[in-house]
Amino acid sequence: MIRLEHVSKVYKTSTRPALDDVSVEVDKGEFVFLIGPSGSGKSTFLRLLLREEVPTRGRVYVSNFDVAKMSRRRVPRLRQSIGCVFQDFRLLPTKTVAENVAFALEVIGKPRNTIVKVVPEVLQLVGLDGKEDRFPTELSGGEQQRVAIARAFVNRPLVLIADEPTGNLDPDTSQDIMLLLERINRTGTTVIMATHDHGIVDSMRRRVVELAYGKVVRDDARGVYGVGR
Amino acid sequence: MRTSFVFSEVVTGLRRNVTMTIAMILTTAISLGLLGGGLLVVRMVDKMQANYAGKLEVSVLLTNDVSANDKDCTQQPCAGLRSQLEQTSGVETVVFQNRDEGFERFKRIFEAQPELLKLARPEAIPATFRVKLEDPDRTDVIKQAFEGKPGVKGVDDQGKFLERFFEGLNGLRDVALILALIQAFAALLLISNTIQVSAFTRRVEVGIMRLVGATRWYTQLPFLIEAVVAGIIGAVSAVAGLVLFKAFFLDRITRNLTESGIIPPIGYLDILIVSPWLFLVAIVISATTGYVTLRLYVRL
Repeated sequence: MIRLEHVSKVYKTSTRPALDDVSVEVDKGEFVFLIGPSGSGKSTFLRLLLREEVPTRGRVYVSNFDVAKMSRRRVPRLRQSIGCVFQDFRLLPTKTVAENVAFALEVIGKPRNTIVKVVPEVLQLVGLDGKEDRFPTELSGGEQQRVAIARAFVNRPLVLIADEPTGNLDPDTSQDIMLLLERINRTGTTVIMATHDHGIVDSMRRRVVELAYGKVVRDDARGVYGVGR
Repeated sequence: MRTSFVFSEVVTGLRRNVTMTIAMILTTAISLGLLGGGLLVVRMVDKMQANYAGKLEVSVLLTNDVSANDKDCTQQPCAGLRSQLEQTSGVETVVFQNRDEGFERFKRIFEAQPELLKLARPEAIPATFRVKLEDPDRTDVIKQAFEGKPGVKGVDDQGKFLERFFEGLNGLRDVALILALIQAFAALLLISNTIQVSAFTRRVEVGIMRLVGATRWYTQLPFLIEAVVAGIIGAVSAVAGLVLFKAFFLDRITRNLTESGIIPPIGYLDILIVSPWLFLVAIVISATTGYVTLRLYVRL
């Protein structure tokens, strides 16, 4: 599903590479934690998958896309097959819950009758039925993140990328969000989650890829956060 | 592509920075209005040239002595001058007009200005040969041959007067077009700026759009249409401005000249004919500026 082959990324403003000869392969339906301290290259890793960045060396494959080599024109196709969730939710404050989710479909030109059908479905999946007409400011942090997850998942992406999705949430709420991500993972969606949250990584016992100074220093099939330190 | 979505984005965008939008529309309108004014002057000059072509005459004005004593041009030197004129090559017709006929004609031309007529006396009007040439550009031949001859007071070339008049109008046109150009430049910068502000205030939306895989067109089209809509509103205002200018200002100051047939009136039809160009210019400029701005300054 996802394959990085000897990927290096050097930013113009920095002498040290953000990623240094990274090779990782993730199968379809896997749940992968991407851990490491700030500046270890997690964000660059995720941005390469979305083609927000192009690698300096190496190849990046997502599904059938040769991400590093593809033409700009095809980038929207790639991104339509990847869902994204962030620490800061990134919801539109002027739109309701349902409108926020619908927005993701509207801007890729989905027909109206599809939108009115799938938006309530996905809101039910994330446990927000009954709150369709609320505005983001009227929701708790956990609920806002559910909206963001609904928006990321509504187009049934092959991959869900979550960049510290629990970074702004308390432990109980974080646990709920993780359960939701697990449910999404069980539908066959590959989930890659960057996090600093020890508790979550330790309790989930999923694959852990640890980065340090742009290198993969650990890749455990059923890992914990703090092993070996 | 969902048009309703794009349209609602456009409306939100224009409303969100309404002061910038108004500035953009006003500048565009003034620029286009000046351009329209320049184009109207061009049309007027064309019309006048068509009007006068073939009608231009050289007037050979006779001295006071001849004017007062020889009403039918039977005596010398009048009769001799006439036959000489008729024999000059390139002359099509020669018409003699005595003092009384000349005064009647004067009264007709200036009937709209009774004050002027009150002051005028027939003695001020000389008897005149009105000479029509086969080639209106060859007036100098008559001037050289007859100026200074006995009985001739002077040779008056309508073409020369008209040339000066056209020069004046063309100057007016150039000023209007130069001002239009300067305003267009200001409009251009404003359009570019408005789009940048617009893109900045909508960066979260645009960020999400890119992330969920909206195509470049989908993210950029609202901004482009925003600019074009403002341009079209500017063009509408410019046309409205021209109509109002004609109705309340131009018609009043040029009434005398147009009624006496000296200059052709500018009609609403002329404005109608000019306005598609204004719309075209508005759309092309706003769309191009928008597109270039998005390409160069806004990362979408």
